[in-house]
Amino acid sequence: MIIEYHRPQTLESALQLLGRDEPLTLPMGGGTVLSRPGRERYAVVDLQALGLNEIVSEGNLLRIGALSALQQLFESDALQPALRAAAHRETSLNLRQVSTVAGTLVVSDGRSIFATALLALDARLIWQPQDREIGLGEYLPLRENFRGGRLISEVRVPSNPRIEIETVARSPEDRPIVIVAAAKWPSGRTRVAVGGFGAAPMLAMDGTEPAGAVQAVRQAFSSSSDQWATAEYRVEAAGILTGRCLEQVGV
Amino acid sequence: MRVTLQINGKSNEWEIAPGDRLLDALRAHGVFGVKDGGCREGECGACAVLLDGRPANSCSMLAAQAEGHSIQTIEAVGEHPEQGWKKTAGLDVIQQAFVETGAIQCGYCTPAQVLAAKSLLAKNASPSEAEVREALSGVLCRCTGYLKPVQAVLRAAATLRGEAVPSISGAIPAPPELFGGGPVEPSEDEIGSADLANTGVGVLPRVVVSPKTQNFQTVGRAEVKVDAVKLVQGKPAFTADIEKRGMLVARVLHSPVAHARIKRIDAAKARELPGVAAVLTWQDLPRVVYSTAGQSDPTPGPLDMFSLDNKVRFVGDRVAFVAAETEEIADQALRLIEVEYEELPAVLDPADAMKPGEVILHDEPEYVNFGESDPQKNLAAQIRIDIGSVEKGFQEADKIYEAEYEVPKVQQAHIEPHVVVTYWDEDDRLVIRTSTQVPFHVRRLMAPVLKLPIKRIRVIKPRIGGGFGGKQEVLIEDVAAHLTIATGRPVLYEYTREEEFTASRSRHPMRVRMKTGVKLDGTITANEMHALVDTGAYGCHGLTVTGNTGHKAMALYVGDGPYRQAPNIRFYADIVYTNHPPAGAFRGYGAPQGFWPLERHMEKIARDLGLDSIDFRLKNALRAGELHPFSTAWSEGREPSPEILHTVGLEDCVRQGKAAAGWDQKYRNPAWHEVPGKPHLRKGIGMALAMHGTAIPYLDMGSASIKMNEDGSFNLLVGATDLGTGSDTVLAQMASEVLGVPVEDIVVYSSDTDFTPFDKGAYASSTTYISGTAVVQAAQKVADRLRVRAAGMLTARGGAPVAPEQIRLAGRQAAAPDGRNVTIAEIGRETLHYSNQEQIMGVASYVSPSSPPPFGAQFAEVTVDIQTGQVKVDQLVMAVDSGVIVNPVTASGQIEGGMTQALGYAVSEEMVYDERGQVREKNLVDYHIFRANEMPALQTLFIETYEPSHPFGVKAVAEIPMDGVAPAVGNAILDACGASVDANPVTPERIWRALRSQEAPGSNG
Repeated sequence: MIIEYHRPQTLESALQLLGRDEPLTLPMGGGTVLSRPGRERYAVVDLQALGLNEIVSEGNLLRIGALSALQQLFESDALQPALRAAAHRETSLNLRQVSTVAGTLVVSDGRSIFATALLALDARLIWQPQDREIGLGEYLPLRENFRGGRLISEVRVPSNPRIEIETVARSPEDRPIVIVAAAKWPSGRTRVAVGGFGAAPMLAMDGTEPAGAVQAVRQAFSSSSDQWATAEYRVEAAGILTGRCLEQVGV
Repeated sequence: MRVTLQINGKSNEWEIAPGDRLLDALRAHGVFGVKDGGCREGECGACAVLLDGRPANSCSMLAAQAEGHSIQTIEAVGEHPEQGWKKTAGLDVIQQAFVETGAIQCGYCTPAQVLAAKSLLAKNASPSEAEVREALSGVLCRCTGYLKPVQAVLRAAATLRGEAVPSISGAIPAPPELFGGGPVEPSEDEIGSADLANTGVGVLPRVVVSPKTQNFQTVGRAEVKVDAVKLVQGKPAFTADIEKRGMLVARVLHSPVAHARIKRIDAAKARELPGVAAVLTWQDLPRVVYSTAGQSDPTPGPLDMFSLDNKVRFVGDRVAFVAAETEEIADQALRLIEVEYEELPAVLDPADAMKPGEVILHDEPEYVNFGESDPQKNLAAQIRIDIGSVEKGFQEADKIYEAEYEVPKVQQAHIEPHVVVTYWDEDDRLVIRTSTQVPFHVRRLMAPVLKLPIKRIRVIKPRIGGGFGGKQEVLIEDVAAHLTIATGRPVLYEYTREEEFTASRSRHPMRVRMKTGVKLDGTITANEMHALVDTGAYGCHGLTVTGNTGHKAMALYVGDGPYRQAPNIRFYADIVYTNHPPAGAFRGYGAPQGFWPLERHMEKIARDLGLDSIDFRLKNALRAGELHPFSTAWSEGREPSPEILHTVGLEDCVRQGKAAAGWDQKYRNPAWHEVPGKPHLRKGIGMALAMHGTAIPYLDMGSASIKMNEDGSFNLLVGATDLGTGSDTVLAQMASEVLGVPVEDIVVYSSDTDFTPFDKGAYASSTTYISGTAVVQAAQKVADRLRVRAAGMLTARGGAPVAPEQIRLAGRQAAAPDGRNVTIAEIGRETLHYSNQEQIMGVASYVSPSSPPPFGAQFAEVTVDIQTGQVKVDQLVMAVDSGVIVNPVTASGQIEGGMTQALGYAVSEEMVYDERGQVREKNLVDYHIFRANEMPALQTLFIETYEPSHPFGVKAVAEIPMDGVAPAVGNAILDACGASVDANPVTPERIWRALRSQEAPGSNG
């Protein structure tokens, strides 16, 4: 239950509000999750006035303002097609209009295509205060520790790796039960992230020797059984999808 | 806090709470064009507004967030063009296109769709079909299948560009190739590009028109729905779109456990909470056993439910009711109710339910049996039907085929949740304003529960935001009514989307064993189905739904030769209680559960025998002039009566459907099954036949009254319940056909137990047939008086005397053979004001002695990833014999929407429970229904027959599209890659497992 609403005009005042001990105060992006009725009492700090919604391409780096909407990403020419498609598949059009990049990553679960894609791309989260940079892979398993006094201002994504994503779902727009995202840098570095189950996407491999990628992915799915699919199935399907992704990115 | 919101160009300063969602704030201030789908994750989109010109869900943002942004709602888009002396700009072009194309069924999501279209066309004057589908993809629609909304947007775009668009009004265009019996051939484009949804600005379906309809004036025309203009404006037409002073909000405490006795319940703290008006537990209410199934009296099922009980039987069962000033207070009160449960063992596998020693769900002494129900065995109902000599038939077979199939529990998922408002009126009569398919059954069933006589209850059904059987249940009316009785105040109770999944009704899941005896030439000698049915915790609809499984599916194939005259058919079913949420009515009403096993089984048999699967089906299928085999064995738990089938358009449906689907070019064509450059993909095509029913004979009654006004208009009052299907419109069309006036002169008022005559309600595909016949008969009585009065007026004016029977009613005139005429309006003035005054009025009722089945041929085309099992449905084509089509646009909308629901049944929809009885799906994200941008191509063909038992040759259309899609998809997957999946939905893992096992067709013969 939201007990206070704030819309600060500066980053400093936002951080000041978020740094309060009481009441629990949370940063709000699009608000699609925090606006849901619930039992927990908290204050929200709406960040929309801070202007953190620009998408800037700088050399081999894509700097995505934390408050950029997913639909903004989908419509941006700065993103490669697979990443745009991942933003598109994340949720429906009306929610993409307001759901922000940072908010999506904060609440994403293992079935998030967008988070899986950014994990494959080794996206970095820029936290305020102090422009502290944390890899998405470090953040996802420790999200609960990141409450209080800080906010994500930017997501940095390398633009020189090529990324391809393959999924299995019941229908073209359904949330997938198997996700494989493979990114390959010009240097030969290859990262493969997987999703479709669990609390967050997982990194299956990162290195310059992709020969073991399929095996690594299969291993990542080895304990993936849930109500949606068995691990036996996911292991096999993910192995197939990994092969396809790697072929598409030129491995 | 105070906010200033810019809404529709005006500045509004509102006092809101920090946590108020924009949706809540808008509706609290009377902006009712914004609809609430009850979802908490923004998945349905019915609440969308344009935020700075882009569609955004008002349920998923705070009102405070919207400050500083431009908000546009449907209220500012367009309005009725004629408002007395005030002329307006009228409807927006997009709204007009939605009205004309039949894009509006229930209309609950229509405002959001219109806004989405407006946003698109503002930046893209020439959108492609894909772009339109993308624009509409944020709004779920459960009625239309999206085809007509897409067509509406394309049409509006063309109109805005100044282009001509094809006319929709007028008689059904019957392309020449559809006459003379020749099948319509698909174009090369259609054969090669199933990815296209064949959507253009043309709207009308292909129809093979019955020659007997050529003189009809209104019947058969694409008349605009009588409720379309108000729905496209987002008018406050739905149950919750009402403001009552002092109205309380109701909430229900639901059980967290699957089976328990309530040892102690203490609501004292909740009652003390400021803002709480009432808390009711089982100790506060009279103990009246009843059934929630909305069916004619006597209810054909056990009485096994109480408003509140001291026992809970599923996760989600009712524990207590709360009424409070706000939803937040009510929720807080729920948390203050102390409940101590004595947990009992739960029965979660229907196969365990009847085992000796199992826990008994219904040990209450008030339980009232119906038929074979036996609560000591957890048996809600049992069916044993033997037609002919089944064992002898098996002995005469060359091969016996046996296999087991499974169908899942699925949700109706109407976008408007269950919702009810109750209040005492000034005469101390209880008004129940409810989103129901069965207003008269609500009144009858609620009276004893509330301890009120029927005459002190008035049930009003406003527009319904979809029902699909879910609102044939008297599900929540008692909650609000008890709280109104307790508090004396109006009460609103709206289900959340989660409650729809945890505490509503669903389709009955079944495990079905098939056994079929066949001769080598393909003659079926005996056919047997045994169903184990999970009715959940209560028996509502269990008997009749399951009876329909046999009555519809198992009646289709009687065998050939001597077996055609004396078929051997067995249908056995055990309908058992479990600690799952109850099942109930869902469009199709048992038939889809029957056609999945039947049509998968037939496909396997045909393939094993090396027969053409369509020829095999038609060889054994029912034909005109034959006896409905179940008509002597089953009638909804009542006495059956033999029924001969007069019209069976099955062979024509197959012929036309094959041509439209390109069957001959694709089936057994190896090249077509390949996908160039993608060796892991295989295409497949499959089909299924279907038959359904039209109303329940000798039981269900519809009635109508028609009253004439002095301007030549008529008030048509019907108890029939339009739940978005367009029944008010087709009933008006039938009245207008008889009375010789345009549909706009028929003012329809429906479903108000105080003012409209009785009707059984909207179920069993009965409204056009049963209520329609009542309307025609009432109109004929009025027409008779019109002719008498017209003849008298013409004779009095001089010239040769005219006999009433010589008068023809057409074009708002009553005309003699020699051309003399009076207008209908003149008759109205004459009879109400000038001479021999009388109120011309007609009342009629109708109960049918027959239930003529519609028939259909369903075709499906798929692409399967043979490595992962992922399937994509590319095209669905259905050719339907529904008798004469009264309105081709509303009728094709029924087929398109039905096929889309059935598509979910085929590949994505199911409700899965864990070992504690907790459901996996609690929202429309996990429970995936198709969006506009992922739909396959849809095509509908109507093959008209002229059913002699109806005044205009009509049969039913609404439910049959639910029957064939899933098995046709299953058969197409088999065709694509050899994977034979016997449980639906056909998920990737199921296909993958079938591919791995590559089981042979289910033969042991």
